[in-house]
Amino acid sequence: MREKILYALGAAAIAILVWNINTIARLPEETQQGVTFKIIFFHVPMWACAVTAACAALLSSVGFLSTRNFKFDAAAVAVTEVGLAFTSVGLVTGSIWGREIWGIWWTWDARLTSALVCWLLYAGYLMLRKAIEEPTQRATFSAVFSIFAFLDVPIVVFSIKWWRTQHPQPVFWAGGSFPPDWTRHLMWNMVAMLMLGIVMTAVRFRQEEAQREIDFLRRMAHAI
Amino acid sequence: MHVLAQVPFLAQVATKEEVLQHQYEFLSYGLTAAWVILAVYVLMMIGRERKLKREIASLRAMLEEKHGE
Repeated sequence: MREKILYALGAAAIAILVWNINTIARLPEETQQGVTFKIIFFHVPMWACAVTAACAALLSSVGFLSTRNFKFDAAAVAVTEVGLAFTSVGLVTGSIWGREIWGIWWTWDARLTSALVCWLLYAGYLMLRKAIEEPTQRATFSAVFSIFAFLDVPIVVFSIKWWRTQHPQPVFWAGGSFPPDWTRHLMWNMVAMLMLGIVMTAVRFRQEEAQREIDFLRRMAHAI
Repeated sequence: MHVLAQVPFLAQVATKEEVLQHQYEFLSYGLTAAWVILAVYVLMMIGRERKLKREIASLRAMLEEKHGE
């Protein structure tokens, strides 16, 4: 039953994306940036999903430290890995967009640098997990590291408000203008990406549970 | 070659079609990169799922064998 819900959610997300991409392709060109501006319909939803994943990782890590329930640990690793995939897409699409509009692939401004640090921190979290064998120690250290890594997330989000950056100021929460029908399509993409993210996290969560079952079976095999 | 195109600045001025083509090129790079990264991640996940299923099945079979002895 749970699997059917996941497949349905994934299929619905793909259907929304296909319909929405078709509609976005027919939208008029933006006056300053032309068609390149349409990268925003993927770049922003990817980052929204990445930030949502980081928040979920924080909650799961706090949940593990306060309850010692390994389901929270599995949720933290699942959501972090999926979030890292979204962060990678956000960084790459941003870099391609920057090359076209700014003429450079990368610049060390506050937004881009903090975003790269965020990627490195969460990649470090996944590497840390591979380095520790003992499950309880691994889950505890990883949870503490994840909480520490989250400190960078508000810096990524608010860096464009706090400092002068090459990256433009926020469009949606700082008085920027965006046509209402464009906003609707952006929101649809955001909903579809979030749905995809939920499906991927659920699959990854199940894999983490399967890994724990393997560890248990291995211990049983050694004990017999 | 037209005499105006020999002037360096004017030779660099692209036509509207060229600009549009260039923009579409970068838009396609962005979209392709986005979907390729997600597709690679999904494929990695599918591979891991298969490996885990195989591992669970072999461990269960081994345990049953040991219990049978």
